[in-house]
Amino acid sequence: MADFWVTNFQVLFSGLALGSIYALVALGFVLIIRATNVVNFAQGDFAMLGGFAMVAFLSAGLPYWLAIVMSMIMMSLFGIIFNLGVYYPLRNRSFLPVIISTLGASIFMQNTVLYIFGPQPKPMQKVFATDGINVGGVFMDTQYLTILGVTAIALLFQYVLFEKTLLGKKLQATSQDKDMARLVGIPVASMIAFTFCYSAALGGIAGILVSPVLFVSIGMGSIIALKAFSATIIGGFGDVTGAIVGGLLLGVVEAFGAQYISVPYKDAFAFLLLFIFLLVRPQGIFGEKVSEKA
Amino acid sequence: MRRLPLFLLLAALLPVLPYFIKVSPYALNMLMQVSTYAVVVLGMTVVLGYTGQISLAQATFFGLGAYAVGLGTTDWGMSFWLSLALGVAAATLAGFILGLTTLRLKGHYLAMITISFQQIFDLVLTNWIGFTHGPDGIAGINRPSLFGLSLADDRAYLLLCMAVLYAAIYFVWQLPQTELGRAMRAVRENELAAEVTGIDSLKIKVIAFTMSATLAGLGGALYAAGFAYISPDNFNFARSIEFLTMVLLGGAQSAFGSALGTSLLILLPEWLRFLKEVYMAVYGLAVILIMVFLPTGIWGLFVAWRAKYRKIGKIDTTNIEPLSIQIPVDKAAPILVLDNLHKHFGGVRAVDGISLEVSRGMIHALIGPNGSGKTTILNVLNGIYSATEGSIVCDDVNITQMKPHERAALGIGRTFQNIRLFPSLSVVENVMVGAQRANTPREPGRAALRTRALSALQFVGMAEEAEVIVQNLPYGHQRLVEIARALAGYPKFLLLDEPAAGLNQTEKKSLATLLKKLKTHGITIFLIEHDMSLIQEVSDRITVLNFGKKIAEGEPAYVLRHPEVMAAYLGETTHGAA
Amino acid sequence: MALLELREVQSAYGKVQALKGVSLEVQAGEVVTLLGANGAGKSTTLRTISALVSPTHGDVLFDGKSIAHTKPEDIVKLGIAHVPEGRRIFPGLTVTENIMIGTCARGRLSRAQMNAEVEDMFEIFPDLKRLSTALGWSLSGGQQQMLAVARGLMSKPKLLLLDEPSLGLAPIIVQQLFATIRTIRARGTTVLLVEQNAHMALSVADRGYVMVTGSITVQGTPEQLLNNEEVRAAYLGGHA
Repeated sequence: MADFWVTNFQVLFSGLALGSIYALVALGFVLIIRATNVVNFAQGDFAMLGGFAMVAFLSAGLPYWLAIVMSMIMMSLFGIIFNLGVYYPLRNRSFLPVIISTLGASIFMQNTVLYIFGPQPKPMQKVFATDGINVGGVFMDTQYLTILGVTAIALLFQYVLFEKTLLGKKLQATSQDKDMARLVGIPVASMIAFTFCYSAALGGIAGILVSPVLFVSIGMGSIIALKAFSATIIGGFGDVTGAIVGGLLLGVVEAFGAQYISVPYKDAFAFLLLFIFLLVRPQGIFGEKVSEKA
Repeated sequence: MRRLPLFLLLAALLPVLPYFIKVSPYALNMLMQVSTYAVVVLGMTVVLGYTGQISLAQATFFGLGAYAVGLGTTDWGMSFWLSLALGVAAATLAGFILGLTTLRLKGHYLAMITISFQQIFDLVLTNWIGFTHGPDGIAGINRPSLFGLSLADDRAYLLLCMAVLYAAIYFVWQLPQTELGRAMRAVRENELAAEVTGIDSLKIKVIAFTMSATLAGLGGALYAAGFAYISPDNFNFARSIEFLTMVLLGGAQSAFGSALGTSLLILLPEWLRFLKEVYMAVYGLAVILIMVFLPTGIWGLFVAWRAKYRKIGKIDTTNIEPLSIQIPVDKAAPILVLDNLHKHFGGVRAVDGISLEVSRGMIHALIGPNGSGKTTILNVLNGIYSATEGSIVCDDVNITQMKPHERAALGIGRTFQNIRLFPSLSVVENVMVGAQRANTPREPGRAALRTRALSALQFVGMAEEAEVIVQNLPYGHQRLVEIARALAGYPKFLLLDEPAAGLNQTEKKSLATLLKKLKTHGITIFLIEHDMSLIQEVSDRITVLNFGKKIAEGEPAYVLRHPEVMAAYLGETTHGAA
Repeated sequence: MALLELREVQSAYGKVQALKGVSLEVQAGEVVTLLGANGAGKSTTLRTISALVSPTHGDVLFDGKSIAHTKPEDIVKLGIAHVPEGRRIFPGLTVTENIMIGTCARGRLSRAQMNAEVEDMFEIFPDLKRLSTALGWSLSGGQQQMLAVARGLMSKPKLLLLDEPSLGLAPIIVQQLFATIRTIRARGTTVLLVEQNAHMALSVADRGYVMVTGSITVQGTPEQLLNNEEVRAAYLGGHA
């Protein structure tokens, strides 16, 4: 009987950890959608870049903590470049050219990294030397604990930034009504640049956190991105809380699916869940219905 | 096109060229890849280029066709042709199912569901090893024979592939001029207007997805026998992206664009081989640049360049048949009855219990200050919004639950406050969409459709501009085209939302004359307007709304001097002003 | 010198030539109203002043300087606050936050100063005080209108542009709103008020202009305009 609880708690724990990664990427994704109405298909590749940045800095001999700092700085800069190169030229067009552009950016990012680093996935060491701790029979991997811890801090930071600072209010106003934000004097272009910067950083953190678990590979971003999208739709397209809840939910469903149904098909659970939601409740858990006016 | 025979000759020569000139097997392989991929990409032209629906699952249908041939000819011992039929059928069915999801989803959501569809397919292909052979793939797929002749020779098989490709190009090229093709383009340009003009947009989208899947399945089946070996790598999300890029580079709205884009993107890496590992990165960059600088693709550039030098065909307006629209005004019963109509949006009671009747053959105006519920009523009448309560009966038919295109099929035409035409279609094509609605007494055939459209244009005075692309017209003229589009559909009842908005004095006078002329033909007109001089001139009866309720009704002279109406517009005289 | 001056302004709304040569002026300290039927071009006039639309001809002068080609973000820094049609308060921010965000163009304010100014706003709009933590979308139309005006005032503008504030509001709320406009004028802000509701607007204005399809047909003091047949004709057509 105790076994039942131990196993399931183990699965829940790893599901939440993986779900946190999805939640972080989904959060960055949703922030961009809210600010610009753009669905960024390259969001997962920010995670991939974060992982490779770490690999590069670590192999250059930097201590772990410094590598993290440098990677974050690099990711933020990259967010700004992405904004200027991919979003800004297309900001007035319909959604299709922009989606496709972000797809192109994804291909570009992946293949540039491939060129620089080669096709072999790279391992990365964990933050802590110990493998894990044992709590009442449940083995808790230190990296998973780190993921949960850092995600919690990131979400707290997110909350404070958006709910307690004027900058956060300006960002919210920009995403709620861009033209009105201009009339009130908010520098909308800067707000958008900041959003891309921040989202790239969130993606980067996710990549850095998950690399010791998954290996750093070119394709890691794509699969994370698709799951992050699913998470945002399940949670409620465009809803910040929804993205987080959706991500965690997805991670847990995947973990239990892998444990009890099938391991090779575990990726399919995300898409099946998405499919079901899109058909039955497209507005997700927290979303609201939208209709077109004549 | 004087040079058409020359092109046809070149096109016919191309596939037989390898019999006369020594072409390396490698080059033959490339051409086979180009021709089979191009068929798939033509499917993208149909669903994305013509109908405007994003599909990132094209590789799934490609894979269904390929695996049907792969498994059919090796594991199941079927003939190639039977396997091909099976593959095309499977792909068609899958496309149909995916198309049905458009009932609920558009835009980003649709893109997401096509991606998940693709991902699930990829996972099944890779993991259901017992059935699909998994990552090992299927090898040793043999070439078929046709009429006893073996197609094992690469050149012969290439001939087959190119023949199929040419047939597909012809079909996709002709499609936009058909009723179906025009309906697809209308859905792409403005789905709401298409619905209201009588097009069942769901049906069109499902057909588009199904067609694109059929083409992809066909390409896949041919590909499998062409290359003898298939594996899951070839039918994944990355491949779908490639198909998307090919159709965009070439020009999504053209059959030739697809062929061009496919050729370039397969041949280019060969020519760019000196870039080696970087070429994919360059590819990704190229996609961004195409989107920024070349949104209509390379073929689109060519078309735009050609349009500059081509003169717009002048229409001979002397021989256009006069528009036949005689609606009998025999029945005494009103043509429209609204009974206690309500429309609430959450707490806002936009339409709050309106009952009114519109008599046959009359011009009945609906006026009221901003926010009084006028446009909402029109939208409920059209079926764009569904009524919260109450009923709408049009010519003895209860239309309260009907969809917009069903109402259009009963003879209800509509124009919009902020003109909803199909911007990149020509004037006459816009009107032909109106003419092709179901249930009209017109003759079948394309010529009759065009004649009807020209007659409608002549009626409003726009026949000379028939070939102009509608978004290039000045505002007043666009308004007239919108009216012509409604007229072409044999309407007995016209709903006009602020038809005079944006028109100058002269144009308004012409509009008034036009409306009165329509009335003499028996068409009932229900219009919203703010220009009171126009209303006074044309209306037989006016209903006034304020805050979603009716506050006055009657003849213009009476209504426009009614104290409540004046108060609604001008405000109450204040009590105790500062 | 007038605070605001429009000289033969022509501008387009989409493809439509909405303004066909509009000239008007607003002196500092006045409440001027722009009247006319729907579609006359009143909103387009305000949008041209606040640079959401660029004039194709003519000029817009504020404090004597041309502002015809400024960016909307910079207009508010010059001292013009535009409260657009349909309120457009930020639905996901609270009442207090909506008010505070009105100060964005003024640079950093200390917390104490911000709080003091918000309290000040609550004095002008007492209804908003008890709703201070409510989210924008949950407010009624009238409350949203008050909030939009409060937000506009927080930028300490010299000129307040009000676009159809009475739209969709019940008469009694409209009366409260217009009483507030008098208070605003008393505190020294110049107001250009676009309104469909002519009588209400004239009860609070010093002067008025009447627009018909993109041009000004008549202007004058409230006494001259009230009961003026031309005004009635502008809305309800025809002549007696």
